[in-house]
Formats: sequence, C-alpha cells, structure tokens
Amino acid sequence: MAESNRLCDCQKQVDEVKCLKRLDAVIKDYREKPGALIPVLQIAQGLFGYLPEVALKRISLGLDKSYSEVAGVVGFYSFFSTVPRGRNLVRVCLGTACYVRGGKQVLEAIKKHLGIDVGQTTPDKLFSLEVARCFGACGLAPAITVNDDVHQRVKSAKVHEIINSYRKVSRVKAATHKRAKS
Amino acid sequence: MTAHRKIPTPAALKVLAAEYKIKVESRIQTGDKAPSGKIKHHVLVCTGGGCIASGALDVKAAMEQEIKRLGLASQVKVFATGCLGPCAVGPVVVVYPEGTFYENLTPKSAVRIAREHLKKGKIVEEFVHKKEPSKTPVPAMKDIEFLNKQTKIVLRNCGIIDPLSIEEYIGRDGYLALAKVLTAMKPDEVIEIIKKSGLRGRGGAGFPTWMKWSLTRKAAGDEKYMLCNADEGDPGAFMDRSVLEGDPHSVIEAMVIGAYAVGASKGFVYCRAEYPLAVERLNKAIESARESGFLGTAILGADFNFDLEIRMGAGAFVCGEETALMTSIEGQRGEPRPRPPFPANKGLWGKPSVLNNVETYASIPAIINRGADWFASFGTEKSKGTKVFALAGAVTMTGLVEVPVGTPLGEIIYDIGGGIPNGKKFKAAQIGGPSGGCIPRQHLNVPVDYESLSELGAIMGSGGLIVMDEDTCMVDVARYFLDFVQDESCGKCVPCRVGTKRMLEILDRICEGHGEMEDIDRLISLGHQIRDTALCGLGQTAANPVLSTIRHFRHEYEAHIRQKHCEAGICPGLVRAPCQSACPAHVDVPGFVSLVGEKRYSEALKLHRERNPFASVCARVCFHTCEDKCRRASLDDAVSIRGIKRYMVDQELKPLIPAVRDNKENARRKVAIIGAGPAGLSCAYFLARLGYQPKVFEAEPRPGGMLVQTIPAYRLPRELLAREIRMIERMGVEIKTGKKLGRDFTLESLKMLGYDAVFVAVGAPDGVRVEMPGSDARGVVESIAFLREYNLRGSVKVGKKVIVVGGGNAAIDAARTALRLGAGVTVVYRRTEAEMPAYAEEIEQASQEGVILQTLTAPEEIIVKNGAVAGMRCRRMKLGEFDRSGRRRPEGSGEELVLDADQVILAIGQTLDAQKVIGDLPVELIGKSQIMAEALTGKTSVPWLFAGGDAAVGPSSVVEAVASGERAAVGMDAYLTGESHAFWRREAVVETGFDPDADPRMDPRGALVLLPAERRTNNFDEVEQSWSETEAVRQARRCLRCDYRAKEESESVPCQK
Repeated sequence: MAESNRLCDCQKQVDEVKCLKRLDAVIKDYREKPGALIPVLQIAQGLFGYLPEVALKRISLGLDKSYSEVAGVVGFYSFFSTVPRGRNLVRVCLGTACYVRGGKQVLEAIKKHLGIDVGQTTPDKLFSLEVARCFGACGLAPAITVNDDVHQRVKSAKVHEIINSYRKVSRVKAATHKRAKS
Repeated sequence: MTAHRKIPTPAALKVLAAEYKIKVESRIQTGDKAPSGKIKHHVLVCTGGGCIASGALDVKAAMEQEIKRLGLASQVKVFATGCLGPCAVGPVVVVYPEGTFYENLTPKSAVRIAREHLKKGKIVEEFVHKKEPSKTPVPAMKDIEFLNKQTKIVLRNCGIIDPLSIEEYIGRDGYLALAKVLTAMKPDEVIEIIKKSGLRGRGGAGFPTWMKWSLTRKAAGDEKYMLCNADEGDPGAFMDRSVLEGDPHSVIEAMVIGAYAVGASKGFVYCRAEYPLAVERLNKAIESARESGFLGTAILGADFNFDLEIRMGAGAFVCGEETALMTSIEGQRGEPRPRPPFPANKGLWGKPSVLNNVETYASIPAIINRGADWFASFGTEKSKGTKVFALAGAVTMTGLVEVPVGTPLGEIIYDIGGGIPNGKKFKAAQIGGPSGGCIPRQHLNVPVDYESLSELGAIMGSGGLIVMDEDTCMVDVARYFLDFVQDESCGKCVPCRVGTKRMLEILDRICEGHGEMEDIDRLISLGHQIRDTALCGLGQTAANPVLSTIRHFRHEYEAHIRQKHCEAGICPGLVRAPCQSACPAHVDVPGFVSLVGEKRYSEALKLHRERNPFASVCARVCFHTCEDKCRRASLDDAVSIRGIKRYMVDQELKPLIPAVRDNKENARRKVAIIGAGPAGLSCAYFLARLGYQPKVFEAEPRPGGMLVQTIPAYRLPRELLAREIRMIERMGVEIKTGKKLGRDFTLESLKMLGYDAVFVAVGAPDGVRVEMPGSDARGVVESIAFLREYNLRGSVKVGKKVIVVGGGNAAIDAARTALRLGAGVTVVYRRTEAEMPAYAEEIEQASQEGVILQTLTAPEEIIVKNGAVAGMRCRRMKLGEFDRSGRRRPEGSGEELVLDADQVILAIGQTLDAQKVIGDLPVELIGKSQIMAEALTGKTSVPWLFAGGDAAVGPSSVVEAVASGERAAVGMDAYLTGESHAFWRREAVVETGFDPDADPRMDPRGALVLLPAERRTNNFDEVEQSWSETEAVRQARRCLRCDYRAKEESESVPCQK
C-alpha cells in the first residue's frame, strides 16, 4: 500500500526537491499509459504523505492535463488528502457490521480522547482521525486501524489504551531520532 | 520469490498438475488416507485478513520457532493458507492428519500445541473449537457445524493452498480449465457452458454471466476489455477480499478464459485501496502467472494473447457501479454514465467490455472443469450454484459462509452461524448492504435466492449479511445507510444528490425526536421518486434500506415520532440512558443507582417512586429490561440493577409519601378505578399526586391483583406489598374490596353515580382452557385458579405427582408452589428451555429445588382412571422450521412418553372476557380479550372510559402495568382539566459525584444471594436475599453513568413517556 512505503516522513524536514525528482521519474514512466492520473496521484501521495499543490502542478504539467481536472479528481476520491496528516492515522470503521456492533460509540470515545473531530489532526501532530467504510474485517467488529495495524473488537471504554500505546511508541521514536541527530 | 519456468503446452501443464496434486492433497488427508512418510504433521495456518488482524503471523512465527527448537523441522510442515472462514475465532490453525481445528490462538498457545500435539501427538483440548453455548469441545474440523454445513465452490481453495504458490493452485486442478478451453473449445462453446450452468452475477444484480459475454463477443470492434470488479464497496461484505487474498489465481484463470470467449486481449482488476493485502497477493499472482505463461503472448502455446493489470480505487463507493468503475480506470472522477450504450458495446475507453465480480469469476474454472450440470445441481430453479455470504453483526460465528443459493436464511444464521450471542433476540438481517433491505424474524424461512429476496424488498447484493439483534434500532440503521449513500453520492444527478439529502434530513429529525407522522409518507414518496429517476444503480437503490425498514418496522418509526421512544435504546436524542429508556415506567435508573453508590438511600427511593410507586415489589418481581440494555454488558456484564434496588428498598422502614399537589377542584372530581392490581393502584397513586381522591374497586377480598393472587410469597413477601399499598391509601386513595364489576356494579351504574372518569384495569384474570382428551377429569386445574386459591385462601388441593403444562411464569409459579406443598412436580413444555417465556432465574431456581423440566414434550392426552387424572401421554418434539415469531416450530417426532400423575395444572395462558367487562357500553375491543385503548393516554372509544394494564394490552409484566397506570392517570387528568400536569415527568438532575475521565471500576457483577435450595422447598420464605452494604455500594459504582452529560449539552427533548 502506498501509505506504508512512504519515503519521506512528514515529521522530518521534507526533502521536497528529492520527492519532486522521484515524482518526475514516475510521471515519465506513466506518461504514455492510458488512465495514468490516478495511479500517479497514489504514488505521489505515498511520496509526500499527502498531495501538496506543488506536486499537483507538476503532475498536471507532466501528464498534460489541466490543473482543474487534476484537482477535480483529487477532490472526488476520499483517499486523497491535500493537507498533511499526523504521524499516526487512526481510522474508525463505520461499515455496517462495525456500526451495529458499536462503532459509533468507539468513534465518540476516540474523538473525546483525542479532542479532535473527524478529518482533524491533534495539535502535537501525533494523531489524525478519519472514518472508514469497511476494512473487510466485519467478523471482528467493531474495528479500527492505526496506521497499518488492525485493532479488532474495540471497546469504547478501552480506546485510550490503544491510542496511548502509539503515543508511547511515537515518543520513543522521536527521542531516539533526536539523539541520533545530536 | 524464484522465477517460474514457462509452461509451454497444455500437456506439460497436465504432467505438472498430477505431480503437485499429490503434494497438496496429501497434506489435507485425515485418518487412514493420510500418507505415511517422513512428514508426521501438516499445520495449516489461516492468513486471511481477519486472522492476520488477530495476530496469525505471530502465531505462525512462534509455532515455527518452537518446532525448530523441538527438532521437529523435518517432520512437521507449516503452511500459510487463505481465509478458512470463521473470522470470529481467529487466529485459527488446522493440524493434519488429525484434522484438528484450533482457534483463538496466541503465540503462547501455539507453543503449547507444538509441544503437546506435534511432539507428543496429544490434542490440546483447551484450544480446540468450543460449541456455543454449551462450550463442548469439538476438536475435529469435520464436526464443526460452521464449516461442515457449507458447500465450497468459490472458496474451494481458500484455507487449503498457499495463495502465493502457483504450483499449489495447479495442484488443485488450477489452469486446467484454461488448458481445456484453449485446446478443445471454441469461444461460443465456452459461453454455452456458462449459459447451461446458470451462473448469474454475484456482484449484486444477478445478471446472467453468459449474456454479458455473448453480447460483448458479438459487439463490433477488435479491441475489447475483460474487467474484474474487486471494488467490494458494500460495508459488511468481504468475500471478494478473501478470494483475492486466498485464491487469487482462480480469478486470473477465469479472466483469461473469459477473454478467450469474448475476444479480449487486455484486462483490468479494479480493487479497493482498503485492501492492500489483496492487491499485494494479486500482484504477485499475476507476476507468477505471467512467468508461467498463463498471461502474456501465446498462452500455453496457443495463438492467444491476454494480459492483466491492477488498478487501485481511491475510496469512492460509487466506483463499484460498472460505468463509474470504467470512468475511474480511465483516470477521471468516478462518475457513472447513462446506459445505454451498455458496456458490452461501449465500455472502457468506448470499447466493448465485460465486467464481472470476483466471486463470479472464481466459480468459472470449477464450472469448466466439472461441467455445467454439476454446477446447476446446486441452488434453485432460477438461481444456480452457491453464494458466499459475509456473516457479521450479532451472530455467534462471524465469517465467510458458502452455501447453495436458496438455503433458508434461518439455517445460515442459526445452524451455521450458531445463532444470536448473549441470549439476545434476533430482530432482522440486512442483506445487500446500502442497496439492500432487511428481513425480519417472521421471514427466517425465506430461501436466500435472487427472486425470494426481492419479493421481501431486499436484494442478494454482494452477499453482506448483517445480523441485527434487539439492540439495533431500525430507524437508526436506515439513517446509517442513507448517510452512507448520501456521503458517497457522486453528485452527478439531482435525484440522488438532493433527494437522499432530503431523506437524510427527515430521518435525522425523527431520530432526534422532532419527527412528524407525515414524515413516514414523505420518506416513501421521495424514495420511490429517487428509485425511478436516479442515473445509476447507487441512486436507484439508495432508498431501499429506508423503504424496507418502513415496510417491516413501521411501528418503530411511529414510536420514535409519537412516543419519542427508541425501543432499542440507540438514538441519542431520545435516550438519556439505555436502562432508563428500556424501563417501561421510565424510572431514573442511573439516578437511583448512583445515589445508592453514595449511601443516600431515601433520596434514591424517592427518585424511584417519582415514576414507580412499587419500588419494593419491583425489586423482587420485575424482570429488569433495564439490565438487558445496560451498556456495561459490552465491557463485562450488566450492572445488577435489581440487586442494587433490592438493597435500597430493604433500607426503608416505612414508605414516605411522595410530593403531592393539593388541589381542591381535583379532590371534588369523582374518579373510579376498577381493579386494585399494579395498573389500577399506580393510576390511583399518580392521580393522588395531582390532588385527586380516586376510589378503587377490587373484586377479591385483598388488594394487589396478580401481585397478591398469583405471585407466590417466596418471591414477594406479602407484608412488603401491603406496605406499598398502605402508602397509596395514605395519599387519599380509597380501596373497596369485594366489589366485583358486573356483580356489584356496572360501568353505566358508576356513570349514573356521578363518576367523571373511570379506569378499567381488571387484568387478564382467567386461565386459558385447552381442550384435550381427559381435560375434564378430576384433578385437572388451571394454574391461575390454583395459585389464586392458595394465595388468597391459604390452602389448595395438591396431588402427589403433579404435571404442569406450559413454560410461562404462571407455570413455574404453580410448579414451585406445588413443590412447596409436598408434590413431586414435572413441567411439560413443547419447545426448549431457552424459549420458555418464564424468567430464566425462575426456571433455574425451580430446577435447583427439584422441579423436573420435560422440554420438547407436548401433551397429547390426559390419562383418566375412574374419572380422575392418572397420567399424561406426551409426544417428544423436535425443532423444525422457523415460525412467524422467529422461533423454531416444534414438530412431533415418532417417540411417545407416558408420565404418571394425579394432578395436572394447565398454564397455557391468561385471558379476559372483555365483553363481560364493558356490558352494553359501545367500547371498541381488540378481539374478545382486550379493550382498545390509546397507548399514550389509555383513552378508549368512550370519552370518560380509560383502560390499561393486561386488560388493554394482554398479559404482560408488572412494570408494564405500572407504566400503563401512570399514562392513564395523565390521560384522565388531561381529559378532566384540559391539560397535562404530570410534574414527575420532568427530568431532574441528580447531583451525585461522577468523574467522566476516570476509568471504569473493574469489579465483576455480583450474583444474587439465594437461600440454599434445601432450605426453601418446604416453606414460602423469600428465596432471594439482600447484599451487604459494601457489596451494594460496590455494585452501584459499576454504573458507567450513561446519563452523564457535560453541563452545556444537558438540554434534552421533554419526556413524552
């Protein structure tokens, strides 16, 4: 999945030039292929972590499509984001099975715990919250994902335990990162 | 991964297939068929998406490590397979040759299996499958009902082969169908075989597959496309995901076959971005298929080229619609196009295209290999083959289930899925996702095929089957689906974009308590308009969930609108706390529970009596619907509300009189209440609080109705009842006993005496008589009469061997009373214990005391000797099809049973001769046994006459009667004064300490304290005992305080109940 092989961590100083260079190579590969726009956007989002305007402009020029067409496609699909996301992406499934098994209560509990609404990112940039429509983990409802980990049969009274486990990991990572730098 | 060598010809493929077959098949042989060789065990680890999410990869790693450590590496082979189906119990592992099925594994348990099973050959019973609810271990995979009742065609390889190994696929006859097609069949013959098989599209609409192929084949043009719809958008379906993850080659092979049949040379699989693992595995499969020569040029040496590419979706539900999917592959906004032209003529990039769904494709190689007739032998006349369902929601065994089309719904849910967990009742099944509809319990026998489902307003859809129990609000479900399609509407056409928005607004306001009755018709008419005018399938079916829930659950919509009541306790605008919402009398449960938690008992009692005067009675006899809805149950167990209430009432020395509003005008008004049962006395209590001084007429010598006449003293000590009745009398209510309607007075005579309003609450005091051979013999009595005689007169004739017929509370009360009076008692009931209407605690206590339950036993004849009962001839029953109540109908089996008896107590039901009650008054009745009364006010068709309790709604519970009395009191007050003064209905904020951010206390639910069985069988002492204060307070503090609102959001809809 694009998310998992993202090359630039958005928490770091994004090496935009490097990413754009890679993007150019991708555009070159896809240029002749019919229906290239969506795969290119998917790869670009994997590179940057989101879709910054500069990348969209590059894609528009490279694939010879008007910027409005590119922006139109980006706006249509829910997987594309034009704003940076937090380090951890929490997605609460509200597919039917999760919904009838209490997914809504789980979402409320997470919102309350993180203090943000759906589509927002915490001020410390650690967590973004989104709603998903079914991961196909219906047998394990209600489910949430944090990054690529699926958490199953989540109880709303216990969401803080899940979230906090990522908070810890993120802190440890940030600390080691700092140490490595200094 | 090593590169595969190209397979040049079909003949070469066949040689390989024979070789691989032995390898693959040998690993899943059991018993004697298992090969004897160096390998002692094959371990198959499910690595479907569900099991991976549950930790299957860690389990596999731990097991492999332990195998190595034990030095078993050369004797045990571990394989990763695709989805086995039962996601609910994952991670799962199957060990051959025993065929042992292990579930819910952790790395730790995997190590134990390696040590005990793989090393010593001892099956580890602790981790094998357990049958619910008995928890009996079922070690052998072939004995697990969830698996052995399925017929696997689409999922034939899932859970058996390593999805990433093309060799293993070939070993299961993989690509042999392709070889057969390329060597021996013309394209038209391929289409003919598909036609004969009767295969229909499994993506939803059920369009015949052969027809799509044939139209595309005939369409003009050299360039054609073969497309696969893997954009499994129905939130609740995951079979396509499992096929792609567990058996990706079956889809690739089918697409090549299809391409050959229609003349396509290029194909795309359009897969959702939410399924990264499926994309990954499919990509690898395509790669190895290409290397082996099943994709590319000159496939298997034939003059035929075809190649395949994956396109990932980007999160748009509408892209599951065929034309939108094609626009999306083209790289545009995934908006649908009008049809015609159909994709068979103008599809992807304007070229003829076939689009089939994953599951449809996965059936095709099997059809080619085994023949059209074989496939058509499964299913119904019009719908052939099998269908995979994603069973999810409120069902014991969730996961993937493949059954012949036309299997009854009830069989899928109960026989395969193991029924509804946690003792809840089945309410409905939603089939077909946001485009589908719901099937209520009276249709559990419906055969699941395209036609039967659409008759009920649902569709087969992609096979998402969500089971919903009593805790699901159908209005909320409809709103959920509409919110979904509204959100996913692409916005191209007005009916879908604007129409669904308007429908959603209406549903929102119904759920918030602002709905109007006209809204229901508005929803229906809007729904029909959208269906008729929207551009694509998404819009045309968008209203289905709303239309179908209105069709089957209209009463829930009406309850939301008129009574502002959400039966399931879900809609936040209508539900302060689910327990309170579930209490018919609407007692502030979290309020009194939290007060008990602070030892403020008299305040707690006062709060309880705001809505229900019979605190002490209900602490003993109420069947606590509040606990059934307690949210704490989702954490561990429900709060023991009745136990807490019991401790609370035991702290009371003398009931205090609640707030009463003196009102001279009301005191002058003459109000009569007929029947001093819980309904009549509650009505009197609430009228008295408004300053009325009603007169209650009671036929029997003692007030209390069923509370005193039939409920035995071991459940409800008489002094406690008397205390609460005295409290009501002290409020200015006069009770006249020994005054019987029809004997001492009539309704008209009351009117003549100047009564302004009359409330009829005479209950359902007569036992239902059943006629069977011998029922007029000496020694046959009816349970209500039996109980009444003992409870009012103090003695009753009891036999030595008593048979009680029935399964309700009256049956159990009669049985336990007879037992206490010295009889040996057998209860005969024609269904199972789980279906007995009596409260589970009562049944359990009866068994402890020595009452024998003969369930699945139906009485046929009472054996009579010399005019007296001598025994009973019964027939053993077995459970058959589902009846309209959603329970399995008992059917007679051949077996008979004769029981000795000298007394038979019939407890079949209770009724009322309503005509006798109303006399000549023109009051409308429901049937012969109920007086028609408005639910909210108790108003009958005669303005001054009100009715409530069992007399109006049929036999029901004590707390229902209390609620009905309260509503009638409010209704009568409104009739007499022109407005409502029910001050107790205003929600008061209880000031108790609560920290919303604190973690819930993890004390377990406390059990009720009971007298030991041997100390209760020969007396009528109360069986249930009170807790200690420490325990009561601890239990009260388990409450999660669902009623808690931060101060700013505490505004709520005024209570109408």
